[in-house]
Amino acid sequence: MSHKLLVITLLASQLIFMTLGTAETDSSEQILRVKALLNEVDDLWRGNSSYAITSMQVKTEHYTRTMRMEGWSKGKEHTLFRIMEPLREKGTATLKSGNHIYTYLPKTDRTIKLTTGMMMGSWMGSHLTNDDLVKEARLEDDYEATISFEGERNGQDIIEFTLIPKLDAAVVWGKVTLTILAVSHTPVVEYYFDEDMLLTRTISFTDIKMLGGRERPSVLKVVPADKPDEYTQFIYEQLKFDLELKDRIFSLSNLKKR
Amino acid sequence: MRNRHRSIVTMLAMAFACAMMIVFSSLMEGFVAGSELNIVSMNTGDIQIHQPSYLDDPDIYQQIEQSLALVTAIRQAGFKASERMFAYGLMASDQSSSGVQLRGIDLQYETSVTDINQHIQRGTWLAKSDPHGVVIGKKLARLLDVSVGSELIFVGQTADGYMANDRFHVNGILKSVSSAIDNTGVIMSNLILQDLISLPDGAHEITIMRTDRSTDLALAVATIDDIVTDDLEILNWQQLMPVISQFLETAQIQTLIMLLFTYIAVASVVLNAMLMSVFERIHQFGIMKALGVRPWQLIRIIYTETFIQTLIASLLGLFIGTGITWYFEKNGLDLSSMSDGFSFSGLALDPIWYATLSIKSLFVPVVFLFVIAALAVLYPALKAAVIRPVDAIHYH
Amino acid sequence: MNLNTLAWRNLWRHKRRTLITASSIAFGVLLAVTFTGAGDYFYTRMIDAGANMGMGHISIMAPDYNRAPSSKKRLQQANQHKLAVEQLDNVKSVASRVQGQAMFASARKSIGGVFFAIDPEQENSDNNLFIKAMVEGEMLSSASGSSIVLGIELAKRLKLKIGKKVVYTTTDNRGDIVSAIARISGLFETGSDEIDGSVAVLPLHKVQQVLGYQKDEVSVLAVILSDQRHSDQLRDKMQAMAEFSDTEVLNWQQTQPDLAGMIAVDKSANRIGQLLIALLVAAGILNTMLMSVLERRHEFGVMIAVGMSPKNLFLLVMFESFWLAVLGLIIGVIVTTPWFLYMSQTGLDLTSAYGDDFSFGGVLIDPIFKLRLFSESIIAILIGLFGLTLLSGAYPAWQAGRVVPVESLKTL
Repeated sequence: MSHKLLVITLLASQLIFMTLGTAETDSSEQILRVKALLNEVDDLWRGNSSYAITSMQVKTEHYTRTMRMEGWSKGKEHTLFRIMEPLREKGTATLKSGNHIYTYLPKTDRTIKLTTGMMMGSWMGSHLTNDDLVKEARLEDDYEATISFEGERNGQDIIEFTLIPKLDAAVVWGKVTLTILAVSHTPVVEYYFDEDMLLTRTISFTDIKMLGGRERPSVLKVVPADKPDEYTQFIYEQLKFDLELKDRIFSLSNLKKR
Repeated sequence: MRNRHRSIVTMLAMAFACAMMIVFSSLMEGFVAGSELNIVSMNTGDIQIHQPSYLDDPDIYQQIEQSLALVTAIRQAGFKASERMFAYGLMASDQSSSGVQLRGIDLQYETSVTDINQHIQRGTWLAKSDPHGVVIGKKLARLLDVSVGSELIFVGQTADGYMANDRFHVNGILKSVSSAIDNTGVIMSNLILQDLISLPDGAHEITIMRTDRSTDLALAVATIDDIVTDDLEILNWQQLMPVISQFLETAQIQTLIMLLFTYIAVASVVLNAMLMSVFERIHQFGIMKALGVRPWQLIRIIYTETFIQTLIASLLGLFIGTGITWYFEKNGLDLSSMSDGFSFSGLALDPIWYATLSIKSLFVPVVFLFVIAALAVLYPALKAAVIRPVDAIHYH
Repeated sequence: MNLNTLAWRNLWRHKRRTLITASSIAFGVLLAVTFTGAGDYFYTRMIDAGANMGMGHISIMAPDYNRAPSSKKRLQQANQHKLAVEQLDNVKSVASRVQGQAMFASARKSIGGVFFAIDPEQENSDNNLFIKAMVEGEMLSSASGSSIVLGIELAKRLKLKIGKKVVYTTTDNRGDIVSAIARISGLFETGSDEIDGSVAVLPLHKVQQVLGYQKDEVSVLAVILSDQRHSDQLRDKMQAMAEFSDTEVLNWQQTQPDLAGMIAVDKSANRIGQLLIALLVAAGILNTMLMSVLERRHEFGVMIAVGMSPKNLFLLVMFESFWLAVLGLIIGVIVTTPWFLYMSQTGLDLTSAYGDDFSFGGVLIDPIFKLRLFSESIIAILIGLFGLTLLSGAYPAWQAGRVVPVESLKTL
C-alpha cells in the first residue's frame, strides 16, 4: 500500500511492480505472462537512482495543506527526502537507510530514530502513517499476482491484476487490485481491501505527462474509504533517473543540511 | 459512690471504650472522606465538562468553545475550576521513545483544583519561568529512561496538519497518579501546548472542585448545568470513575462493618462492667430493700448512679478520644513507610491516613455508650428491684 | 489446695461474669479470624493473580531490564537457568516469556499495546491469567506458528474477528523495527478495559525469531511458587547462587511495586483495626479481673493472714486469667469454626457490589469475599489472644499480691 505509494510518489520508484515481478516461481504460462507484464511495467519506473520534486496536498475535515519536497533514492536501501515548503517545516528530512528510519527536525536540531511508538503517527499530516514508510522495502515477496480482468472497461483497454498477500507476509490487506492501461502499461488505479474484502483505500494515478523522459501519471491520489471527502495527493513536478549519487548523500550528517 | 475502686474501674473501662470508639469513628470517617478527596483532588476533580463525545474519542478538534468565559462564570458561581487541553504524539529521549498524552494545564488555576503538584517524586513542579520544563509520569520516565534534567523531543501533528516538534526537558517526575498519567502523561502549561500544536483557544476539559466539600454533589452539578449553555457533557467523578466510586462505596460499607465490630466489642466491655458493678452489689440492694426502699426507687437509684458514671466516663472518653483524634487529624497515620504511593484500580492513593473529627464521630459513640450502659443495667436493676431481700443478701 | 484448682473454682464462683468475659475473648477470636483470614485469602489471591499476569512470584531477568525494559536486554541461557530454578524447593512452574511493546495493525487501524510471547506447553490457566480469561476461540497451540490471542477490546478496536490477521510491529534485539503477521486464534476478556484493550499473547519461538533472539534468550523467566510466602526467601537464595550471578532476580514486590504497596497499606490498616479490637478485649479482661480482685480484697487478706504468700496470690489470679483465656479460646474456636468453614468454602459473592472487573493495584481478582488462614496465622491468633489475656490479668494479679492483711480486713 502506501509503502509502495511513498516510493512511487517520492522517488518515482516501482515497488508495486517489483513486488509482482518476483511474485511466482510457478511456471505456468499465465503466470509467466503476469511476471513478464509486471516486469515490463516495473522497468518503466525502474532506475538505479532517482531524484524527484513532489508536492503533497492533504485535505481533511479540519485542514487543507500543501507541502513541497525533494527526494533522492539509490538502490532499494537508500532514500532521503527533505521538505522545501512551507517555511515552517523547511529542512525537515527523513532518511531511510536499510532498516532504519531517521527524521531530522530543524526546529529542535535533533535527529530522531523512528521506533515502534511512532508508527501510528500520521506522516506529515497526510493519510499515510510512519508505519507505511517503514514497511515499504520489505514487501517484495509479499504478494501472489494474477490477471483478473483484461479488456475494455470505462472506455479504456485495461489489464487488472489481483494481488493476494502470501500467508506469512506482514501485510494487513486481504487483497489489492491494480489496473493498468493495456497498451502503455501505465497504472490507473489501485484498490486496497481488508480481509472481509471491503474497500479501505483507493489510489488513483492520473494526469499523464512527460516525466523523466517517459509518459507517466504525474498525480497520485490516496482516498481513505471511510472518509471519502478526504485525500492526500502527490503531484510530480520533476523526475530524473540514473543520476550519479554518492553514498554520503544518505548519511546522517547530510540529513541535517538545508 | 460507696465503692470507689469498683466505680473507678468501671468508669475507666467505659471511658476507654468511649475513647476507642471516637478514635475509630474519626479514623473511619477520615478514611471515607480522605479517600474520596484523595481520588478527586489528585487529578479528576469533582466535576468535569467536555464535548459530549470527547471521552470516547479524544480528538483535539473537540474543544469547548468559549471555555474561558465558561470557566470564569463557574468560578464566579463559587467553584474552583481550571481548563485543560490535551494532545497526543511521540516523546523521544536519547534512549527510547514512547507515545504520550500531552496535558496542558492552566498554571494559575490547576493547583487550586487539584493537588497533583504535590505528587512529585523527583524534581519540581512546572514553573512559569521555565516554559519548556515538563512533568512526566513515573512509568513513562522509566520507559524513556530519563531523569530530572533530561532532554525530550516531542514530535506530533499540529491542528492545521503540520509537524509539531519541540525540545523539552524533564522538570519533575510524578509519583503514581493514575495508570494513564503514569504511563503516558506529560504535563505542561496549556499556553505552551496551544502554541506547540497550533490549537486555537478552547479547552478540552474543564475540571471543577466544590469549595465546600460538605455540599451536595448533585446540587453542584445542577448549578453548573445552569451555567453551561452549550450542549456539553457534565459528569461528576462517580460517573467519570465508576469502578473507583463503586469500590469506595463498598469500602465505606466495610468500614461501617468494622466500626460495628468495634461497637460490639465496646458493648461487651461496657455490658460486662455494668453487669458486674450492679450484680455484685445486689446484696447491698437487698439490704436497702429491707430498709424500706421501694423497687422503682431502687431502679431510679441504680439508673442515676449509672447515669453519673456514664457521664463521667463519657466526658473522660471524649477528652482522651478527642486528644488522640486531634493528633491523627493533624499528623495523620503515615502508612508511607510501607510504600511510596500505590494505586487502586489504576488510581493512586495517598498513603497518609488522616482522621476527621466531626460532631458525628463524637456524638454517636457517646450516645452509644449511654444506650449500652442503660441496657446493661436494665436486667440487674430489674432483678434487684424484684428480688426478695433475703435472697439478695445471699445472692451470688 | 492446689492453686490451679482453686483458680478454676474461683472462676465459677461468678459464672455470669466469667462467661461474659470468656465470650468477649471468643468474640476476639472470631474477629481476629475474620480479619486475618480475609487478609490471608485476599492477599494470596492478589499476589497469585499478579504473578499470573506475566512476571511470576519471582522474575529472572537480564540486569537492568526491570528498571528500563528494552528488547535489547535479554536473559541469556534461559533454558539452563530454567532447569536450575526447577530444582529448587517450592517452585511450582517456570515459564519463559518474551515481552515488549508493539503496534498491532489491521487494514482499518493501528493500536499500540504490549505482547507476551509464551510457550503454551509451559503455561496453563493456573499460571497464566490470559489463558484463564479465554472467552472465544483457542489459546495458542504451540510456541511457533503464527497465531495470536488478543484482548477482546483490542480486537474490537482493530475491527477484527477470530481467523483474521494482525500485523505486529516491534523493535528487535538491535533496535530495528520488525513486523510479522499473525492470525487471531482466540480472544480473552479479563474484565479490565486497560488490559483487554492493549495486550496480545504470541507464540514464544516465533517472536524470538522475529526479534532475532536465540532459542534460549527470553525477556523474563517467570517463576510461580507453590506458596507466595516463600518469595522473599527464595529470591535471596537465588541471588546468592552462582548460577544466577549474571542475572537480576526480583520478587513480586519489586516487579509490581503498586501491588506490594497496596497490600502493605491494606495490611497495616487491617492491623490497626485488629489492634483496636485487641485493646478493647484487653480492657474487658482487665476490668473483669481487676473488679474480681478488688471485691475479694477481704478474702485475699484472710488468705494472707492464714499464711498464703503474696506470690501465691499473684499466681492464683494469673491462673484465673489463664483458665479464663483457655475457656475463652475454646468458646471462640467452637463459635468461629462453622463461620470460618462456611466462609472459606462458600464465601460471600460481592460481584453485585463490585461488578465483574475489579482491579486492585493493577491486578484483577474475582470479587468474592472468602477466608483463608495460614497455619502461622492461626497460631498467631491463639497465642496473641492468650498472651493478651494473661497480660491483662497481670495488673490485677499484681494488685492482689500487694494486698496487706490489715488493710484488707478493714474493708470488711
